[in-house]
Amino acid sequence: MTGYLELRDVAVSFNGFRAVDGLSLTVEKGELRCLIGPNGAGKTTALDLICGKVKPTHGSILLNGRPLDRLEEHEIARAGIGRKFQIPSVFKELTVPQNLEVAYCRKTGVFANLLRFARSVESDGLEKLAEMVGLEDCLDAPAGILSHGQTQWLEIALLLAQDPQVILMDEPTAGMTAHETRKTAELFKRLKGRHTLIVVEHDMSFIKEISDIISVMHQGRLLAEGTVQDIERNPEVREAYLGSGGITGA
Amino acid sequence: MVARIDSTSDRVPVLRRTWVQISIYGAVCLAIFLVPVVLDNDFLLNKYARYLVLGILAMALSLSWGYCGILNLGQALSFGLGSYCMAMALKLRTVPVHTGEGGLPDFMVWNNVQELPWFWAPFYSMPFALFAGIAVPVLLAVLLGWFVFRARITGVYVAIISLAALVVVNLLIIDQQRYTGGFNGITDLAQLEILGMEFDAYSSASYYLVATVLTVCLFAALAITKSKTGLIMQAIRDHEDRVRYFGYDVAHFKIFAFAASAAIAGIAGMLYTIVMEFASPTFLGVPLSLSVVIWCAVGGRQSLLGAMLGAILVTGMQGALSESETFLDTWMLVMGGVFVAVVLFLPKGLAGLVETIVEHLFGQGRAARAATGKPAAGKDVSGTGKKAEEAA
Ligand SMILES: Nc1ncnc2c1ncn2[C@@H]1O[C@H](COP(=O)(O)OP(=O)(O)OP(=O)(O)O)[C@@H](O)[C@H]1O
Ligand SMILES: [Mg+2]
Repeated sequence: MTGYLELRDVAVSFNGFRAVDGLSLTVEKGELRCLIGPNGAGKTTALDLICGKVKPTHGSILLNGRPLDRLEEHEIARAGIGRKFQIPSVFKELTVPQNLEVAYCRKTGVFANLLRFARSVESDGLEKLAEMVGLEDCLDAPAGILSHGQTQWLEIALLLAQDPQVILMDEPTAGMTAHETRKTAELFKRLKGRHTLIVVEHDMSFIKEISDIISVMHQGRLLAEGTVQDIERNPEVREAYLGSGGITGA
Repeated sequence: MVARIDSTSDRVPVLRRTWVQISIYGAVCLAIFLVPVVLDNDFLLNKYARYLVLGILAMALSLSWGYCGILNLGQALSFGLGSYCMAMALKLRTVPVHTGEGGLPDFMVWNNVQELPWFWAPFYSMPFALFAGIAVPVLLAVLLGWFVFRARITGVYVAIISLAALVVVNLLIIDQQRYTGGFNGITDLAQLEILGMEFDAYSSASYYLVATVLTVCLFAALAITKSKTGLIMQAIRDHEDRVRYFGYDVAHFKIFAFAASAAIAGIAGMLYTIVMEFASPTFLGVPLSLSVVIWCAVGGRQSLLGAMLGAILVTGMQGALSESETFLDTWMLVMGGVFVAVVLFLPKGLAGLVETIVEHLFGQGRAARAATGKPAAGKDVSGTGKKAEEAA
C-alpha cells in the first residue's frame, strides 16, 4: 500500500545522535495528520526531512510516488510542499503585503518575475488573505514589529498564498489566544480535503478538535498511530509522556 | 477594491511610493542635465562628470548589496573591465606615432610585441567594444556567482572572495604589461565618436553622455527593484533560507542581482575611460573598490538614488577638501570622521535620514506608530495572551 506522502524507514543523525531513527509514516491525500510527541521526539526534524531542510542519512521520502529526498529545498517546494516553521519565519523587513506577494509563487524564475510588478493583479486576493488572518491593520508595517501571535498568523497566511498541495505546520497555535486557536482549528478543518496537512502540536484540545488520525513520535521513532481515543488509552504513549507532565501538559 | 488599493498605497512610506520615487529620481536627473546650462566651464564639467560616473558605480553596488544583501567588495572589478574595454577600442583608434596608421599601439612596440594579440583585434569594432564592456563583467559575475551562490556561500565570505577576485585580475593586468600596458594602464586615447558625434572629455557633450547613461541606468535599476524579482531579492536579503521554501532558486536570483550590478558597473567603467582619457589598474584597485562601499553606506545602500548621491557627495567633498589649503594635510581624517559618524548614527545612511524626516512630516500614522514602537492594536490579534495563562 502506498500513500500520498510517504516516509519509509527514514533516519538522520546529528554528530552520531539519531534525532529521527527509522521513522515510517504514510499520509493519504487530503488527510489532516497530527504529529505529537514529547519535547525532543524529533517532530520538527521529521518536517525538516520532508521539506528538505535536513537530508536523510537513511530511507526515502515519496510524494505521490516521486522521491523527494534527493531534491533541493526549492525543488521540493515546487513539487508541492509548504512549511510553517516552529519559530515563525517571515520577512521582517518587508511589509505584510510584500510578504504575501513573495509567498504567492506561481512563477519562480528570475526573468518571469522581472516582468511582473511587485504589486500584482492578485494583490487584491492577497489583501483579503491578510484580512482573513486579522492583519488588515498592519498592512504598512514591516513584519518585524508584529507580535509573536501576529507573526504566526502571517506565516499561516503565507502558506495560504503559496497554496501548496501539502502543508506542514510546526506548532501553529503557540502564542495564540484561546479565541485565535479556535479560529485556527476552523481554518485547518476547511483546508483539509483540498490540501494534505501534517500538523505538529502540543495542545491536545486543539488536536482533538481537528484530527482524524494522530501519529505519536518518541525518540525519533513512531510510537503509536490511531484516533484520539486509541492514543489516549495507549499505555506506551502514557509512559513516553511520563515526566513531561502527561500528554495534555506537554 | 480599487478604494482598498488606494488606501493601502497611501500607507507605504512616502518616499517609497512608486510615483514619488519616479518624480524625485526624474527631478534629480533633470537637475543633472541642467548643470551645463548654468555652468560654462569645461574643466568643472569634466570633474562633475567624473563624480557622476562614480555615482553610477555606487548605485550598481546598492542594487546587489542594498537590495540583495550581497556585499561585493570587488565592485571595481566590473568597473575596471568596462574601462579597459573602452580604452582598448579607443587605443586602436589612435594613430600611433612610431608605426603610423594601423600599426601596433605604442606600449606594445616598447614591449617588443610583434603582432596585435588576438583578443585585441575585435576591439577595432566600437559596437563590439561597447558590448564587451558590459558582457565581460557580466560573464565574470555569472561565473563567480555560479560557484559562490550555488555553494551557498554567504556574508563575509562572499565579500572576501569578491575582493580576492579583484586582486587577482588587478595583478594579472599589471603583470601582463605587454598586452595591457601594465602599471601605466592604457593612455593616449582617441576621442570616442558615435554617429558622427565627438565626445571630448572636456566638453558638455561628454557630460551629457554621462548624464544620459546615468538616467537610463538609474531608471533601469529602479524598474528591477520595483519588479517582483526585486521584491524576491529583498526577501533574500532578509531571510534567504525562507525564500527557498516558496520554490525560488535563491542562487539564480543572487546571480542575477550580482550580474545586473556588474553590467551597470561595466557601463560606468566605460564612461570613466571617456571622461578620464585613460584606463589604469587603479580603476580596479582595492582602494577604489572599498571607497564604493563607503559611498554606498554614507548615501544609504538601500536607496539607489541615495547611494548615487552619496558617491557624488563624498567624492565631491574629497575633491574640495584635498584642494583646499586648510585641509591639505587633514582631509583624509575629516572624511574618515564623516564615515564613522554616518555608520554609527545613520545605519541607513543619509537616504534613511531623509526618509525618516519626510515620514515625520508627511507620513500618515506610521510616524506615530514608530514612536511607540508597536503596531496598531489589531483587534483580537494582539497575540499577547498565551493560552496557558487563560487555561490556568
Ligand atoms: N541541527 C541539529 N543538530 C543537532 N541536534 C539537533 C538538530 N536538530 C535537532 N536536534 C536534536 O534532535 C532532537 C529532536 O529535535 P526536534 O526539534 O525534532 O524535536 P521536537 O519533537 O520538534 O521537539 P519540540 O517539541 O521541543 O519542538 C532534539 O534532541 C534536538 O536537540
Ligand atoms: Mg519542534
